[in-house]
Amino acid sequence: MLTYSLRRLMWTPVLLVFVSFFVFLLGTYGPGDPVEIRLGNNYTPELAERLRDRLGLNDPFPVQYGRFLGRALRGDLGESLTFRGRDVITLIGPKLLTSAQLNVAGAIVAFGFGTPLGFYAAKRQGTWIDPSLVVGALVIFALPVFLTGPLAILVFAVNLDWVPVSGWGGLFDYRVVLPALTTGLPGIAVFVRLMRASTLDVLGQEYIQMARSKGLRASVVNYRHVARNALLPIITILGFTIAGLFGGSLITELIFGIPGIGRLALDSVFSRDYPVITALTLLGAVSLVVANLVIDIIYTLIDPRIRLR
Amino acid sequence: MAARELPESVSAEAEAPARSPLGLAWARLRRKKLAMAAMTVLAVLYLSGIFAPVISGVLGKDYSDQNLPKAQHGPDGENWFGTDILGRDIFIRVIWGIQTTVIITLATTLTGSLVLGVSLGLMAGYFRGKTDTAIMRLGEVVSSFPDILLIILIAATLRPRIVEAVRDFEDATFFSGLVSTGLVDFIVIGIALLPLTWFGTMRLVRGQVLAIRDAQFVESARATGVSTARMLARHIFPNVVSPLIVTISFGLGAIALSEVVLSFFGLGVQVGRPSLGRMIGETIGRTGSSGPSVLQNHPEQLIAPIAVVFLMIFCWNLLGDALNDVLNPRTR
Amino acid sequence: MISAMGKYAILILAAASLAILAACTSRSEEPEPDAPVMLQTATPLPTRSARPEIAPELRTTPEASSPGASGEIPYGGVFTRNWSDPPTLDPHLVTDTTSAGIVVEIFSGLVSLDENLEISPELAESWSISGGGTVYEFTLRKDLKFSNGDPVTTEDFRWSLERAAHPDTESPVAEIYLGDIIGIDEIIDGRGNVTSADGIEVIDERTIRLRIDGPKAYFLAKMTYPTAYVLNRANVNAGGDTWTDEAVGTGPFVLEEYRIGQRMVLARNENYWGRKAYLDNVVMNLAGGVSMSMYENDEIDITGVGLADLNRVQDPTEDLNADLIRVPPQFSISYVGFNVDEPPFDDPKFRQALNYAVDKETIAEHVYSGLVLPAYGIIPPGFPGFSEEIKGLRFDLEKAKQLLQESRYADPESRPRITVTIPGTGGLPGRDVQVVKDMWSENLGVEIEIQQVEWATYLQDLNRSRLQAWGGLGWEADYPDPQDFIDILFHSESAGNHGAYSNPDVDRLVEQARTEQDIIRRVQLYNEAEQIILDDSAWLPMWFDTEGLALLKSWVKDYAFTPIIIPKLKNIYIQK
Repeated sequence: MLTYSLRRLMWTPVLLVFVSFFVFLLGTYGPGDPVEIRLGNNYTPELAERLRDRLGLNDPFPVQYGRFLGRALRGDLGESLTFRGRDVITLIGPKLLTSAQLNVAGAIVAFGFGTPLGFYAAKRQGTWIDPSLVVGALVIFALPVFLTGPLAILVFAVNLDWVPVSGWGGLFDYRVVLPALTTGLPGIAVFVRLMRASTLDVLGQEYIQMARSKGLRASVVNYRHVARNALLPIITILGFTIAGLFGGSLITELIFGIPGIGRLALDSVFSRDYPVITALTLLGAVSLVVANLVIDIIYTLIDPRIRLR
Repeated sequence: MAARELPESVSAEAEAPARSPLGLAWARLRRKKLAMAAMTVLAVLYLSGIFAPVISGVLGKDYSDQNLPKAQHGPDGENWFGTDILGRDIFIRVIWGIQTTVIITLATTLTGSLVLGVSLGLMAGYFRGKTDTAIMRLGEVVSSFPDILLIILIAATLRPRIVEAVRDFEDATFFSGLVSTGLVDFIVIGIALLPLTWFGTMRLVRGQVLAIRDAQFVESARATGVSTARMLARHIFPNVVSPLIVTISFGLGAIALSEVVLSFFGLGVQVGRPSLGRMIGETIGRTGSSGPSVLQNHPEQLIAPIAVVFLMIFCWNLLGDALNDVLNPRTR
Repeated sequence: MISAMGKYAILILAAASLAILAACTSRSEEPEPDAPVMLQTATPLPTRSARPEIAPELRTTPEASSPGASGEIPYGGVFTRNWSDPPTLDPHLVTDTTSAGIVVEIFSGLVSLDENLEISPELAESWSISGGGTVYEFTLRKDLKFSNGDPVTTEDFRWSLERAAHPDTESPVAEIYLGDIIGIDEIIDGRGNVTSADGIEVIDERTIRLRIDGPKAYFLAKMTYPTAYVLNRANVNAGGDTWTDEAVGTGPFVLEEYRIGQRMVLARNENYWGRKAYLDNVVMNLAGGVSMSMYENDEIDITGVGLADLNRVQDPTEDLNADLIRVPPQFSISYVGFNVDEPPFDDPKFRQALNYAVDKETIAEHVYSGLVLPAYGIIPPGFPGFSEEIKGLRFDLEKAKQLLQESRYADPESRPRITVTIPGTGGLPGRDVQVVKDMWSENLGVEIEIQQVEWATYLQDLNRSRLQAWGGLGWEADYPDPQDFIDILFHSESAGNHGAYSNPDVDRLVEQARTEQDIIRRVQLYNEAEQIILDDSAWLPMWFDTEGLALLKSWVKDYAFTPIIIPKLKNIYIQK
């Protein structure tokens, strides 16, 4: 397991180079000339030429890519085309942090509701509770954000006036509740299923039977042995949920007016702000890769069975 | 709302190949009431999509027919689901929207999951070594992109090129009106969703192949001098069918959702051809900012397309669960 | 001024005439607060009655509100609204409405436009014009200070003007707004070697003299634009490209906080030369969100009204109804444009047929709930130069069919493919265009394709005249002169003429009008030109006016609606 992790660690930079190359390629040969867009109606061939020179867009592709790579290695991902003089990193940084917090909040919702329900369902296997919990979770999973987001605003913010419609104060601010619920809702089903499957696996293991037969109290067996062991594989997925920076929260961010990466990502695609697009994609890839690694390492550390190998 | 599929189980990859023939599985599936209900719903949805032109014809309504004096009207005997802001019949637009989704999900699944995923998976698993490494690494690159952003990026950058190509094709041949049939959209979305669909299937197939390639029957087949292609097709492929069916069942819901999201942002299906995502986007706005207002004042405009999206995801997952149970029985 | 959903917006160069700026707006389908607010006007218009009255009992403009019984206007309070991220806050680089709306509150120049759109003294207390209209001498007010307390001198003005023109500044508009000053063009073309302009002369600390290259009456108006604003040299030099994060200006407000994509906070400038702003802060939410719900929850003080809410806000039993503001008419027109070089739009008969085949009254009534006024001319009612005599092409099915038959493109088989391009993503784009498509198809059997592209690409193609036909665009006036519409949009060499329309008669008439001194004759010239343009069917004119309703909290007083961007936040006060 550790060697596997190490091998992947070594593979990571190569992976990122591939990713950056692909994105850079799309940016260079994609439609929409950033220079023309930036100049708009003031476009003159001379002005465009000068700007292209300054931005280095006249160089051949390998030169441009090489320069990009060199800078990226030093932590410089260039300047936004839309927001002049804004370093892409400083532009993205705070937004990334916001999105990450929203994802953590969403993951907490998904995990917090999902695992107990999944555990409960597994314990009640064979009764009506188990299938109805699973189906119920599926219902929640299938509800699109298009509906849950506006509905949450209408019910909890406008009609009941419990929370504000908009605003963002970070993970520990009460305004995080609605967006977190909206983002985390589909995830509940994921954790219900995982926890259920995992618990069933553990329940079938010999050591649990043994613990029971030794006469340990049911609650001790349930929580010290079954739940803990069943949770182990779940951590993997929890990591991925948090790392998936763009997926679940894009529309949530738009609807709740959260200053995260979502709106910036959309706007930069629409305005062809290629440095921002490239940076976002790269950072997204990095976060996924890093999340993978961290999970592996945590996994190795906490699971005695793996450590022994 | 990403293209996300529910992981069927933590240890899906290492599963043993199904031993029961498909017929037996079907018999078991038929005993599952929920699964059969889901299948029925899906059948109704997909059939109404496929036969949208027929239904349109019978009812004498077209999806683009506008009736301005009856705009934003609630459901009644004539317009079962009400009318939208231009007085178009929402029911007709929804079934045409389903057709769009059906075409895109089927096309993407066929090309992405089946053709690419299965063939690459078979290759990787059977040949191992360098082929395997290359394919796996490629997959890792693709899957390390943030998915929805990648889809949006590909759709936005590819569309103009593909429109140009189709226009050139129209000009060069006697075909016309291809662009307005939505062909371009199907190509764009198909390509944009491709990176997301093939890798999962590929890994699954590869895992299955790795697990059985040294099995007795494969060894003996090889010993009798069966060619590689024949071996893959006759002996190895049949053994990966069951898990494949399960994956595809889960995947269809996810792909449908991805298409809806893409069209919601205006990057999928273009103006003119109805699509569920576009119907939702047109109603609540690109940033969802009209959502609460619409729910409050004209909920019927939102309910029908969203209900269909919901049913598609829900039923495919329900069915996937059931298929998983009957095709990959475990000792439980 | 092209402004798309309050975002990607670009100012368009007025043709070589008395013009300053012309505006071009996009019809935003979502309740974007920017649009209705920024496009409103405070000036009462003579022909208001030409417009359909929807809710006459509504208060029209908040200027009617009077201060408290004591007559004392209270200082303090916060005004909160939605806004979008400005592409730049550097006055010398501003080309769009989103940026300009903030820049004019933080910075200022020698002169500005007042609420009646007349040029008024700002940092200059007076000026004199000599040399046959080519020499302008400005005298600054006494004891002017930047927001950080630094004194403002004429030297700062000289440096600012030269900085705006310097190639390193990369101002896309320096040539348009400052190019009349002698020596400025040399700086712009000097590749950085030329840094001073002969035409800018500092006489003493409070007197600066500008010499221009001809007696151009519009020069002073150009000096109201942010390109001519004064900046603090030390401030600009200290901060690199992002010096505006710590902006030091002379406007009524200072930038207290700016977090991209999150929020912007303006605070009162205590060093402002005139009466200080009443408000303590203006908070602009930049993160988006559901503006209608935010308004209902008192999270913002102003919002536009989307179509889904029209009935609700107009219902007198609803609480919101009390906040409803009838947005005064704007001098704007939206249209479907044709590129007359591209078949089938090169045949006037075909274009006329398309015009006659559209029933705008029905669209206005059912799609826009009567909030728009069908346009049959180019110049909006109430705008100088508007004439009742102008004859537009009203809905006439018979004529439309007949004209189509007479046109070169009567045969659908050989008719070239028609693609109408519309801007935007998602939303309900091109609602008009979708209806028009249906009407052309039903009434004439003319089929079109609608193609939707993102704003950036749309503007790019529009500016390069690459679109065969386009919709979803409007044109909005920035100064009250018919030249703003007729000359800028239809002169064959105007940059604002995106459809390659070219008629020697129109060119001749508008050129004559540029220098015509007799006002009545001048308007006649424009009317003649307008009639020719309509007969030629260069466009399919759609609507005058854009969104018509907004909600404003009752405690926000003296919110001024202006058709162009002028500093207005300092007059707002809060009275709860």
